[in-house]
Amino acid sequence: MIICKNLVRFLHKENRPDLMNQKRPITLSIQNLSKVFQGKTKGVVAVDDVSFDVSEGDLFTLLGPSGCGKTTTLRCLAGFEKPTHGKIRFLGRDYTTTPPFRRNIGMVFQSYALFPHMSIFDNVAYGLRMRKMPRQEMEQRVNRIIQLVELEDTQKRKPSELSGGQQQRIALARALVYEPQLLLLDEPLSNLDAKLRVYMREEIRRIQQKAKVTTIYVTHDQEEALAISDQIAVMSDGKIDQIGSPDEIYENPQTIHVADFIGQANFLACSLEKKDQESTLLTFPSNETVLLGHNMKRFSDFDRSNGLLFIRPERLEITPGSGKMNSLRGEVKRILYLGSQVRYFIQVFQQASPQEVLVDKNRRITGVKEGDDVALIFHEDDIGFFSQE
Amino acid sequence: MVSGLKERFYKIEFIPYLVLGLALLILILFIAYPLSKVLLNSFLKTDDAFSIQNLTLVNFSQFFSSSLYKSALMNTLLVGFLCVLFSSILGIPMAYFVARTDVPFKTVFLTLGTLPLILPPFVGAYSWVLLFGRQGVVNFFLNEMFSFTLPDIYGAPGVVIAMTMSLYPFIFLLTYGALLSADPYLEESATIMGASRWDLIRTVTLPLVTPSIAAGALIVFMRAVGNFGVPALLGGNFYVLPTLIHFQVVGFFNLHTAGAIAIVNISMVGLAILISQYVMAKRSYVTITGTTQGAHVSANKILKWCGTIFCSGVIFFSLLPHITVIVTSFTEGWSGTRYPTKFSFENYQRIFQIAKTPILNSLFLATTATVVATVIGTLLSYIAVRKRFHGKWVLDLTVMLPFILPGIVVGVAILSGFSSGLVVLTGTWMIMVIGFFIRRMPYIFRSSMASLSQIDISVEEASAIAGASWGATFFRVTLPLMAPGILAGAVICFSTLMGELSTTIILYSAGWKTITVAIIEYLFSATIGPAYALGTILIVLVLSAITLANRLLGRKMSQMFKMV
Repeated sequence: MIICKNLVRFLHKENRPDLMNQKRPITLSIQNLSKVFQGKTKGVVAVDDVSFDVSEGDLFTLLGPSGCGKTTTLRCLAGFEKPTHGKIRFLGRDYTTTPPFRRNIGMVFQSYALFPHMSIFDNVAYGLRMRKMPRQEMEQRVNRIIQLVELEDTQKRKPSELSGGQQQRIALARALVYEPQLLLLDEPLSNLDAKLRVYMREEIRRIQQKAKVTTIYVTHDQEEALAISDQIAVMSDGKIDQIGSPDEIYENPQTIHVADFIGQANFLACSLEKKDQESTLLTFPSNETVLLGHNMKRFSDFDRSNGLLFIRPERLEITPGSGKMNSLRGEVKRILYLGSQVRYFIQVFQQASPQEVLVDKNRRITGVKEGDDVALIFHEDDIGFFSQE
Repeated sequence: MVSGLKERFYKIEFIPYLVLGLALLILILFIAYPLSKVLLNSFLKTDDAFSIQNLTLVNFSQFFSSSLYKSALMNTLLVGFLCVLFSSILGIPMAYFVARTDVPFKTVFLTLGTLPLILPPFVGAYSWVLLFGRQGVVNFFLNEMFSFTLPDIYGAPGVVIAMTMSLYPFIFLLTYGALLSADPYLEESATIMGASRWDLIRTVTLPLVTPSIAAGALIVFMRAVGNFGVPALLGGNFYVLPTLIHFQVVGFFNLHTAGAIAIVNISMVGLAILISQYVMAKRSYVTITGTTQGAHVSANKILKWCGTIFCSGVIFFSLLPHITVIVTSFTEGWSGTRYPTKFSFENYQRIFQIAKTPILNSLFLATTATVVATVIGTLLSYIAVRKRFHGKWVLDLTVMLPFILPGIVVGVAILSGFSSGLVVLTGTWMIMVIGFFIRRMPYIFRSSMASLSQIDISVEEASAIAGASWGATFFRVTLPLMAPGILAGAVICFSTLMGELSTTIILYSAGWKTITVAIIEYLFSATIGPAYALGTILIVLVLSAITLANRLLGRKMSQMFKMV
């Protein structure tokens, strides 16, 4: 315990000159992490050779559908699961087999996991008690952190007397009070209603920035991930598909899965043919052609004769009438009014192999009704390509 | 410094493994070992050492040759079946009335309907003789008014009546629970489709609660075929397997024959379990329901009055023996007269002179065993719920075995295990504590398991990540949250141990007589006054323990037996 305390003091952020530098060093490094759960007959691979680095003070999000291995990865970081392979290095030390209570990590659980038999004060003070902190200092620290989460008058109450959002903030305070070097958040907002979720994610971001703590955030909600992360790792089937900033992930998805999972996406089969120095010709199954410049994403490693064009619904333009140059012909099948936007379902490639394309607009386009023919127009810098699977 | 730091970080926690290993060791030493010894003994001749050639069925041969053994076997089955039958006849309608009609005093019915489970059955058993025996109060009246005498209470009728009246609550409470939690929409939809009240009960209500009735019936059967006290007191020449085992152990100290009878007794229980599993498997329904609406309660006046009379009647008769115990304990030499002639505290004065030791013995043994059972049972429940390993069912089965085995069989097992060989404990209080704690640990095991599985595992993980070691997490978080469950289990453990007779009768020695042994000795010698004074003390002790625990936990008495 004494060593632990010294360690806390030693690593305390105020004593660390490297934080002052603009270029933030890597604190957490996951190397070839795998986790196989022993099933009845065969092992189930939950995490499959995952590697990533997290910079000091970053909010790093593991994003993916349920069962993609993001929570298992987090639980390996916490020490609740022993990795089958791989290393977890934290601040230059190997943490792979360190028991959870010696890791000096803060964690917020999906269910908050507040101790129901303790007051809010005792809940928050728990980690400090475990570090044998003197009473007076402990009270100061607890007060400071409860102020940070703006719940000053709840100290004597029991967790059950607090609302979901308040419990959430207490769970955050409890995880941060002993100034951990790493904060883990496991789907912290999934038990809140939609409005509170939006509010709390800003709160978490604010508190995380103020506490300057390196954070790993697990969620299946892509909007949440885009809103608060510095870096996002998109996971599926135990593997990381792509790591990048929210912009990169949304604008430049590297795999079909990432493109499909983040936001809405349209995929259209087509082949590409280089015409000259400035232009490329796209040919669609309906034999319609579109001539575009070279300024397109993922222009290299895919099968050009059998490609898949990717474009976000809000980047497509529609104009009434068909037969426009450099456009696709389509028929409006349905118009869905969603309040903040209007979604058009447009059927293209009518004769060859009918397919639906989504187009999102801020408001209704005048002169376009269900059943009308329209022209779909897109710009070269909004599209990307994948190989067909 | 750096290398020391590193070492600390790498050190694996060994304390949980040590603690849990110890608990498992106790399990093997005190349950698995004695039980396997009984099994082995029953297939060996008295003086033979163990080897494959020496294995024999000679100990079982009496079940074919001796008429005493044959009749005891049939009697035991008869008692088991009749108890299940009569308990169902009393328990199921009573459950229906309390759960589904607006009879008054529901809480009172529930509480008083739970009492017979807590009060040891044999204490009240002799009252049936005082009430309905040849010299009993009822026969006095019948004789005087109609010159009519009831058939002899000794033998099968007495045994079945006394047991039914103390075992029917199992069926009552389990059926009541099922009726209360059944989805009301199922019945409403049956009514919409044209089912009358009787159709409804027959086609929807009863089939849905059948698994609960079967579970209750199983417990009644297990208790009935394993009970020693009641047939010992009321059986007369009517022998059942437990009394036969007692006869073999106390009369001849023949653990091999006793073991063989015990095996037959166990197989009966095993067979009953198989049958009930079959019934439950065929009749197991997953009810998909998200409603919090309670079951439909009938406001029918006729049902209400029938129900009130029926429930009051059952409760009156089931508590009558215990009321008789208490009343009789304040009388002097009541027998042979219609009413008690003189009331005094003489019986109490007498027992405080001659029977102080059994009271203290019982308190000491029950307390010690409860403490041991609580510690080990809680740890084992922790392993069972929180640890992942293969063959977990072996752990569960081993802990629960003494619960399904007749008490007297547990006694024989412990005696076989510790009367010879490496550890000889015969005649000590320790052998009794061992018998007590393994017999009642299942209560604590189940009750703490139920509480532990309610605790979100991330609460414990939150503690670990905040810097608490396994021990700190266990004592600061897990244990406080489990406490209500543990306490409930411990109280039931303690109060049923105070009234324990079946195991005690095999394991006690002259220096370690318990209240229950003293009571049965007095009753055998027809010294009713002191026996009933002791019985009253026992009843008061048990009821105060339960009431105190209910106060502390803020629960109702009927809820305490939910886990059974």
